[in-house]
Amino acid sequence: MPYSELIKNFDRIRDYMRDFYLFGFKSREEYTRRSARSYDDERRRLASWLGDYMRFRQTPDGKNVFLSINSRVQHHNPLYAAWKTKSFTDGDITLHFILFDILHSPDVVLSLNELTEKIDAYLTDFEDPKTFDESTVRKKLREYVNEGIIVTEKRGRTVCYRRAGDPPPLPADALDFFSEVAPCGVVGSFLLDKMGAHDEHFAFKHHYITAALDSGILCTLLTAMGEKRYITMETINRHQDRIAENHVVPLRIMVSVQSGRQYLMAWTPRFSRVASFRTDNILSARIDEPCGAFDSLRRGLDEMMPHMWGVSLSAKTVKQLEHVSFTVRYWDDEQHIHARLEREKRCGTVEKLDGNTSRFTADVADVMEMLPWIRTFICRITAFECSNRSVEERFLADLQQMYTLYGLEGGEDA
Amino acid sequence: MIFSELYSAYYNAVAAVLRTACERPVRKADLRRIVNENAFGESVLNIEPALLEERWQLLRADGTTPVRHPPTMPLTTLQKRWLKAISMDPRVRLFPDPIPDFPEVEPLFRPEDICVYDRYTDGDPFEDEEYIANFRLILDAVRRRVPLSVETVNRHGAAVHRVVMPEYLEYSEKDDKFRLIGSGCSYGGTVNLGRILSVRQVKKLPRPKKPGPEKQPERRTVVLELINLRNALERVLMHFAHFDKEAERLGPGRYRVTVTYEAEDETELVIRVLSFGPMVRVVSPDTFTALIRSRLSRQRALGLRGPAQEPETEEE
Repeated sequence: MPYSELIKNFDRIRDYMRDFYLFGFKSREEYTRRSARSYDDERRRLASWLGDYMRFRQTPDGKNVFLSINSRVQHHNPLYAAWKTKSFTDGDITLHFILFDILHSPDVVLSLNELTEKIDAYLTDFEDPKTFDESTVRKKLREYVNEGIIVTEKRGRTVCYRRAGDPPPLPADALDFFSEVAPCGVVGSFLLDKMGAHDEHFAFKHHYITAALDSGILCTLLTAMGEKRYITMETINRHQDRIAENHVVPLRIMVSVQSGRQYLMAWTPRFSRVASFRTDNILSARIDEPCGAFDSLRRGLDEMMPHMWGVSLSAKTVKQLEHVSFTVRYWDDEQHIHARLEREKRCGTVEKLDGNTSRFTADVADVMEMLPWIRTFICRITAFECSNRSVEERFLADLQQMYTLYGLEGGEDA
Repeated sequence: MIFSELYSAYYNAVAAVLRTACERPVRKADLRRIVNENAFGESVLNIEPALLEERWQLLRADGTTPVRHPPTMPLTTLQKRWLKAISMDPRVRLFPDPIPDFPEVEPLFRPEDICVYDRYTDGDPFEDEEYIANFRLILDAVRRRVPLSVETVNRHGAAVHRVVMPEYLEYSEKDDKFRLIGSGCSYGGTVNLGRILSVRQVKKLPRPKKPGPEKQPERRTVVLELINLRNALERVLMHFAHFDKEAERLGPGRYRVTVTYEAEDETELVIRVLSFGPMVRVVSPDTFTALIRSRLSRQRALGLRGPAQEPETEEE
């Protein structure tokens, strides 16, 4: 197949974009999963779609390509471009514009036969006019009926077609905002494309854009949830490069605005428990049969949510929860530390012990998930206790290792 | 289906070409300009010959088109379902123009389908009528470039007044807050919407006492080295993904990550680096290393210590 800027399948480019954007230190030779030509093609495509953000670095191992995007200065997620690259045939695009020109108003209602005749009339001026037979036109119309942009109605026994009603004006500012912060925001970006250029009034801080690459998967998961159905999905373990198939009931999408990760919480019948799956590790998802127990499974997840710091459900029941507590001290002019604890406590409880001391406590399914957050209070922690001894040991050992790393053990400060 | 040619840049570019062709014949230069505006870097190499060689039979040799109406397309079911979903978001009320209702479809998602689990709890009051009124007035001023007279309460509880030219609104998903980024104010044009006591549109900006160039945010760089234990590499790169950053491999299991940030976010960056524990070490600049070291030194003085141990072995 000769190189084309457009693609038929999103999976391969999803992998490359993730690598170029997140990692960006791999040379051409390290992309071993696919051929060197595949690498060259994908790199060329990305340069065409996202040329302004492509960077190169020459290293002894070769030339490394990476994407560098400061999302704070972008009004829109540049990675959405990848979703606008689906390939099509010459016939597809010709037929599309002619069909919608014939059906230019919802008042125009025509049968398949009438449509096919009119299409021919559009093409007579061309040197070598294309011909679209009835079955090709019918197939395209059926496709558009499924997409909701063409509707059918009966005239006697004849099926007739007309375009769906034209959309009312859409609010550009709301679309600019929600296309960046709502799940599947790329759909908002599609709507904005149809509106044309306009002034932008929003920017975004702490804005993670990688989830855009998972929009297709997310859309399937949300649809399955809405219909209360099982799905079959393929997930990848990137450390072991192992792919597994899972038959699960999707229950909720958990989004982290502090790490940019997105998870599916799903009931896994094989293990009789709710498990979390990173959406960027889901390679494919297919909607299956309805799940009669969906409501009760989601209620079960709801009961555990008040004890989840993140997405881990190591403890299956409330009886297995782990207790954690730590105390911080601050100066008179650092009362914002107590306020910080309050606003970041999630499922925990914060008490003010005196004017300069606060204590955080929580009973959670997996204390290990909390350690990164607790470390952000380093320089103020006067006590740390955890019912899980190994977590407590890990926290203190890490602290000790950090002292060493910065020369505070055995050095002049020791 | 989300990955569809209906949403493609090529279809959008051709629609734009045909809009022009409905008015007047399209010249080659028009074609190139329109494609460059609506599609990608190399698209013109494909779209131009496809139209001119009549593989896509939409443009005649003389630049006219058999298409009689400027192309438009109804909303797809997916688009309606997404719009219906966002109309259930409380933040939608901030916008004066409503999202149309689509009774014939189910929302793509409902609030209970999604949980943002680590958002701060002191976000802006998006359902408060006064907040909504302020937001709309500010958004209108941003659109029309009208100066604003704003009174806010500062962190010490005192009222502060300023007049700013509103530039744009910045939203933080982590803080769940909006900030107005303004200009023309000598002591800072950033206003937290949640701290506004009163705001009104005014006719003109006061003349600055010391006219001078607008202050640009100061950008700084920190260089981190990490050992790839406990999946640190991926966690660090994802965590700092929203910054301008660069990663390079130093050796088996060892990496260097350079992050560029705005000076006002330095304290936040310090605690974010600390959150990775001993997997990450700041190597430069010295000023940043000193900030980390100072915090660790103060922590050590508080007496919390672990057993002395060898550093963990690096691994790929």
